[in-house]
Amino acid sequence: MTTLVDFSRKPTNEPVKGEFLLQSLPLLEIKNLSISSFGTKKKEDIKLVKNINLSIKPGEMLGLVGESGSGKSLTACALLGLLPKSLKVTEGQIKFHGRELINLSEKDMRRLRGNEIAYIFQNYQGSFTPFIKIGKQLIEALRSHQKISKQDAKKKALLWLERVKLPANQVFSSYPHQLSGGQLQRAALAAALMFQPLLIVADEPTTALDVLTSETILDLLVDLQKEYNCAVLLISHNLNHVLKRTDSIAVMYGGQIVEKGLTNEIRKNPFHPYTKLLLQARPVLSRVVPEKLVVIPGEPGLVAKEGCAFAHRCPKSFIKCSILPKMKSVGDSHWIACHAKDSEADDTNASSKKCF
Amino acid sequence: MRFFYAFFKKTYLTVMKMKNWSPAALLGLILLITIVMITAIGPFFLPNNPYMVNMAERLSSPSLTYPFGTDHMGRCIFSRIVIGSQATLGITVLVITTVILIGIPIGLVSGYIGGRLDSIVMRMADGLIALPEFILAIAIAGFLGPSLTNLMISVVLVKWISYTRVVRGIVLSEREKEYVLAARVGGCPTWKIITRHLLPQIISPVLVLATLDVGKVILIISSLSFLGLGAQPPAPEWGAMLSDGRPYFQTIPELMIYPGMAIIIVVLSCNLIGESLRDKLDSKSI
Amino acid sequence: MSILNADEMMVTEADQAKLRSELGFDQPVYVQYGKWMYGLFKLDLGTSYMSGKPVWNEMMERLPITFQLTTGVLLVMVSISLPLGIISARFPRKWPDQISRLLALIGASIPSFWLGLMLIYLFALKLQILPSNGMGSFAQMILPCFTLGFSLAAVYARLIRAGLIESFSKDYIQAGRARGVKEWRILWFHAFRAALLPVITVFGLSMGSLLGGAVVIENIFSWPGLGNMAVDAIFNRDYPVIQGYVLLTGVFVVVVNLLVDLSYYLIDPRIKQGKEGSN
Repeated sequence: MTTLVDFSRKPTNEPVKGEFLLQSLPLLEIKNLSISSFGTKKKEDIKLVKNINLSIKPGEMLGLVGESGSGKSLTACALLGLLPKSLKVTEGQIKFHGRELINLSEKDMRRLRGNEIAYIFQNYQGSFTPFIKIGKQLIEALRSHQKISKQDAKKKALLWLERVKLPANQVFSSYPHQLSGGQLQRAALAAALMFQPLLIVADEPTTALDVLTSETILDLLVDLQKEYNCAVLLISHNLNHVLKRTDSIAVMYGGQIVEKGLTNEIRKNPFHPYTKLLLQARPVLSRVVPEKLVVIPGEPGLVAKEGCAFAHRCPKSFIKCSILPKMKSVGDSHWIACHAKDSEADDTNASSKKCF
Repeated sequence: MRFFYAFFKKTYLTVMKMKNWSPAALLGLILLITIVMITAIGPFFLPNNPYMVNMAERLSSPSLTYPFGTDHMGRCIFSRIVIGSQATLGITVLVITTVILIGIPIGLVSGYIGGRLDSIVMRMADGLIALPEFILAIAIAGFLGPSLTNLMISVVLVKWISYTRVVRGIVLSEREKEYVLAARVGGCPTWKIITRHLLPQIISPVLVLATLDVGKVILIISSLSFLGLGAQPPAPEWGAMLSDGRPYFQTIPELMIYPGMAIIIVVLSCNLIGESLRDKLDSKSI
Repeated sequence: MSILNADEMMVTEADQAKLRSELGFDQPVYVQYGKWMYGLFKLDLGTSYMSGKPVWNEMMERLPITFQLTTGVLLVMVSISLPLGIISARFPRKWPDQISRLLALIGASIPSFWLGLMLIYLFALKLQILPSNGMGSFAQMILPCFTLGFSLAAVYARLIRAGLIESFSKDYIQAGRARGVKEWRILWFHAFRAALLPVITVFGLSMGSLLGGAVVIENIFSWPGLGNMAVDAIFNRDYPVIQGYVLLTGVFVVVVNLLVDLSYYLIDPRIKQGKEGSN
């Protein structure tokens, strides 16, 4: 039990990614995860994340999309054991590389963070402590996982700064406020990839950057990910980024996963009304000027307390939606949680009554 | 007058919303009310004459006739503490009121009108900040000579500037806001803008500052009295009583314990109230 | 300033006039002031009426004593407030936090002279384990330093707590944790630095209460420091000494605040020199 994970052996450049993806065991498996906030009197207040199931295979890039407040970031924080004190995982399991993360001691969790699971933050200004030089922070991070001398650590840090296409020496001896947003996010990328982790959680890594910079940063992330074959959990509400780069997608709404599957599948055949609307609401660059983008009805963040979270805003909602829909397979590596799909099936089979 | 009306209304309203008060603040409030009651009616129910010297019973330990014992002159300590609360609390209230009366108008005018007056006030403030409050009070009290009046004058001279600074700061930020501009455009005279529009804004911060200062002023007054710069014998003031008891406290610590406890209870209750007022009114400027 | 209450003494007119001219009181105030300022350049603050010694020499003799006291007080202050502040920041609203809150309240409410005398009564008279007055040995430093250190420590513990809670909520702390940096390094190198800013600001401002407290403490524990000198001078109306003392403390407070302003830059490089650091 003790040596489930061999620290020295990390997957190196494995060939043939596609097959690998389908066959190998998942690197990360989230089963039935729920997170709740707790009020002052230790009473469970609000369930923020509701019974999530997710899995990422080694080298896979999974996109987690959904509007703000849908629980994407919370799931990622739970992964690293960095939930705020008022929030707690109430049920479920997180299995990473054969280990159960939820009840892992703080000490083991710390060893894991950065080294095996790296995290890239949305707010690039918050990635580095403002009054310590970047280089010093990189060395500090390296030396908290590996027993290496300061010289070696410096060499390694410089190498990685170069690898993310930064002027290494200059950035190394700069304070965070002296760098631009793009440079900082690259430095954060270097800090994340430095350990060649098995999984990178990128929590909206580009929302705070301009369009061009975010493209280059994501390209860089994809390149380096392919080079080192680490898995990436890309959290974003920018569908274009996600559709363009990920292998598979999970769509979240109101703390539930409503649809997940291979990216190509979902792009072609979105089943869940929310996914459909999301895809339609996305501006597509084409020669024709679109008349008007589709707007998802209702107020963002309007979450139904019981049943399907999207029910209040869903154009297809009907009585059954007050019962929580279960995840079910609708094709090759494609799952959704929606009753509307059943009723469609019913329609074709027995032309039963329609309810609205 | 209008200001005082608003001031007391605010105090009254804050006190009335007591169900939201923390237990600590409530304790402070109850303590303070009790002390004020004792100060007000206590002198009519004294067991002994607080000024009567009785050398035959000097330094006696607590008994039925002398609940806290007697001091080096055979005077009843309990009676002196009760009478002394008038001096200590009276001086403190007087000092705080004077400080408010001096500090607020200067701060208002200097902040709203600015110009030469403002720069003079601010230079004075800088000078006073450079000198430690307590040391300055000692120096002024020393120059004027040891007496209760001079003590009060020195504390007022040291304290007014912090009120002026707070008031000025608030006025500086408020005077640029639209409602002041609107009043000016509407032809409201300057004095009316100051009294009707700006004055209400400074009530809560001054209220908090004053409650927190009550404790500080009591401590300064008793410290100065302890050093011999305040109330002169035979006046029963708590700090002066401590000073009187000091030569004998090695054998009879009660001489110091009771007046000291009286000071602590008053200061503690003021601090309890002041802190929760600060949290409640959320005055970050203090 | 030129009032010398010598009227009650049996002196002749001639004696008075002689003394007046000796002390320079027969000259106009601005001449007196000019002379005093001129003397200041040569570090000559006049001579004490009582001891007849130059004020500057007198102060320099007593400065090390007050310095010893304040250093001791600061040591006590840091060693109480730092652990208390950190523990209450790590467990906000738990019992260590409540205790430190209570201590802070009590510390702010007890007159330091009273606390000093009570400690003397307890430790020097009842238990007889510590000397009650005098200075020089380590044991003699404990009571005075603790008396003043305690009331100041309480305030700083609250400040450190507030600062740490604020900086623990920052994103970069989370980022450091996510990189797997050890928790103690997070505390000392990442969180503590930002928390230090308000602490040293208040430190600069409370330099005065430290010196003021030293007056009372020196009086109680009979340390022949600057504070004791000032109180004696006030009672004897020894104006050159009072002037010298007020000037010295003023200069000291200004210098400390200047150092505080400079240290902002060392703590947080974002605060550029030349720009206004704080207001």
